[in-house]
Amino acid sequence: MLQPRLLTPFRVFERAIAPSLRSAQNLYQSRPLLPRALPTPSKPTPSFSLLPFAQVRHASHATQGAANRHSRDPAGKRLGAKRTGGEYVVPGCIIFRQRGTKWFPGENCGMGRDHTIYATHAGYVQYYLDPERHPDRRYIGVCFEKEGKLPNPRNAPTKRKLNMVAIPRVVEENTTVAVVGEEEAATGPQMRPGYMFREANWVIGRAAEEAGVTAKPFDRTNRWLAWRKRQARVKRSAQMKSFKNNSKKGGKKSGGGR
Amino acid sequence: MAHCERASKPLLKCIRTSYVRGLAGVQLPANRGFQSSAVARDEAQGETASQPFYRAPDPALVSSPRLEKKLLKQGIAPIGSRRRRVALQGSDNIPFEQLPYQCFQEARQILQADREEKLQEIQSVREKIARVQAVPTENVREELAKKSKLGALEQHLQHLKILADINDPLVKRKFEDGQGDMTKPVYRFLAKRKWEEYRRKILVQRITQMKVIPDVLAHCEPVVDTKLYFGRRVVQPGDFVTSRISATAPKLDIQMFEREEKLVTIAVVDPDVPNVETDSFDYRVHYLAVNVPISILNTKVDLAKLSPEAQVILPWLAPVAQKGSPYHRLSVFILDQKDSQPLNVADLKAQETNRDNTQLRTLQARYHLKPIGAHLFRTQWDETTAEVMEEIGFSDANVELRRKRVEPLPYKRRNPASFR
Repeated sequence: MLQPRLLTPFRVFERAIAPSLRSAQNLYQSRPLLPRALPTPSKPTPSFSLLPFAQVRHASHATQGAANRHSRDPAGKRLGAKRTGGEYVVPGCIIFRQRGTKWFPGENCGMGRDHTIYATHAGYVQYYLDPERHPDRRYIGVCFEKEGKLPNPRNAPTKRKLNMVAIPRVVEENTTVAVVGEEEAATGPQMRPGYMFREANWVIGRAAEEAGVTAKPFDRTNRWLAWRKRQARVKRSAQMKSFKNNSKKGGKKSGGGR
Repeated sequence: MAHCERASKPLLKCIRTSYVRGLAGVQLPANRGFQSSAVARDEAQGETASQPFYRAPDPALVSSPRLEKKLLKQGIAPIGSRRRRVALQGSDNIPFEQLPYQCFQEARQILQADREEKLQEIQSVREKIARVQAVPTENVREELAKKSKLGALEQHLQHLKILADINDPLVKRKFEDGQGDMTKPVYRFLAKRKWEEYRRKILVQRITQMKVIPDVLAHCEPVVDTKLYFGRRVVQPGDFVTSRISATAPKLDIQMFEREEKLVTIAVVDPDVPNVETDSFDYRVHYLAVNVPISILNTKVDLAKLSPEAQVILPWLAPVAQKGSPYHRLSVFILDQKDSQPLNVADLKAQETNRDNTQLRTLQARYHLKPIGAHLFRTQWDETTAEVMEEIGFSDANVELRRKRVEPLPYKRRNPASFR
């Protein structure tokens, strides 16, 4: 498949060390007792060990197996720009999906866990370079004005927006859980997720408390109680096992009988 | 006695004493070693020898945490590291000249010879300066040439002064003990190097990463070491300070490294005052004082104690952040007045009455100020803010800020034909 071929650099290299090679050949040749009239070939045959890289891959070989190779390509990951320059974006809007940081987040932009660039403020997308900040990086920014220019001058105050509204401050009272609970409990069962008409879980959890049921506090030194509980559990599990076995046996028996 | 025995004797003694002390758990006062000038202090110790050590612990020798705490309560900081203090307890008080280490003595001789050489060089440079000064000048060009030559010589002289002392172990120890005399060039050099190695880097990083530098001023290359204290608590650059603590004016410790007197302006500016109407942020000057003298030894500036007539233009206003608003950066700037000339306080008081919307850039341009030092702390809404707002009569105390709801973009089917 791969053919050895003489390459010019190797030829030069070989010529340089030819005398030594020749002598080495002479060592292996059985020396004739009488010097022959015919001279030994001046050009020695190149040895294979000297030319490990002198391999050729012909076109007929290269095409082998290419027919199905590209069909194994994975599905596209839908990367790239989701918003072009000048487009209006709102906070959280994804601007660019990428693998690695092909683009960096600039003004009013953030970068997600998978290097996705998203907007942190509402504005107009700009793709720009900022050589003062970094000579090679490309940035994506969001400019507040449609005709604005990024990057901002390095020593100018940063342009920011408050994006907040003023509302009257509510002074927090010390509201206890019990008070809230009573209010909620008064409303009674409600429609819960999964179309269940029932009380809230926390109300159910407090049922024992409301009923005045008290449990003995757990005492880890009370081994007598622990033994009784364990015995009860063993008994119950044995009973369950027996039910299971019976039903299995019955099923098998009935199946075999038929 | 063999040489090796003699050489190892102090070491063995040190080990033995420390071992005994470790067993007994008692601190024994001992003479300090590695010192040639300790005679006077030793005598003083002899007088108080009747007192046990724990009654009056020596800050240079104390090693148990309890006694260190006791000393700190008295306002005396223990000197050096605890490891060094322990080592000093067991060492003999042998001056450098008599230490029995040949290599050490050879090395000392080399250093001393170098110092002698440097002193001679200093002498020659001084003579040269005197010669250059004596030469009369006819025109402006010669005058300028002379000035630049003198400046270069002066710089070289300062460099030589530092080189003469920099290898002295006593200088190094004194600096590390915090007893360095800042009037001497070598201690100034060491102090500046130490500041630039860590604390200045932190400060510059904080003021640039928190965008104080483009927001408040365009440039600032700090050249003075600034520390900020609220009460006795030191505030690191960028720390959050609760409103109750920052209700009183802070204290500054401005350490210069150049030997000159300076008159500076101190300004505290908040660039994060929310303005709901314009949907942006305003500036507010929380403090402004001018003509504050600082020098190498006069470093402490208490902002509350500056003279209200001659220095303070705008007195301290407690920084408060409304509930829900982003944190406020309170940037402290030390600005050098041009040629250290005092500013006219009466004019300033007449002109700079408005705290709000006064930018420090404007002041800097108007009075030709140059920033030489900076500091930063932050404040946000906390439990004590409401009280402080009430005390200072903050107008919008009962207003809370909430994020504006952002309308999502309308859903747009990008290429309906391809979905069919």
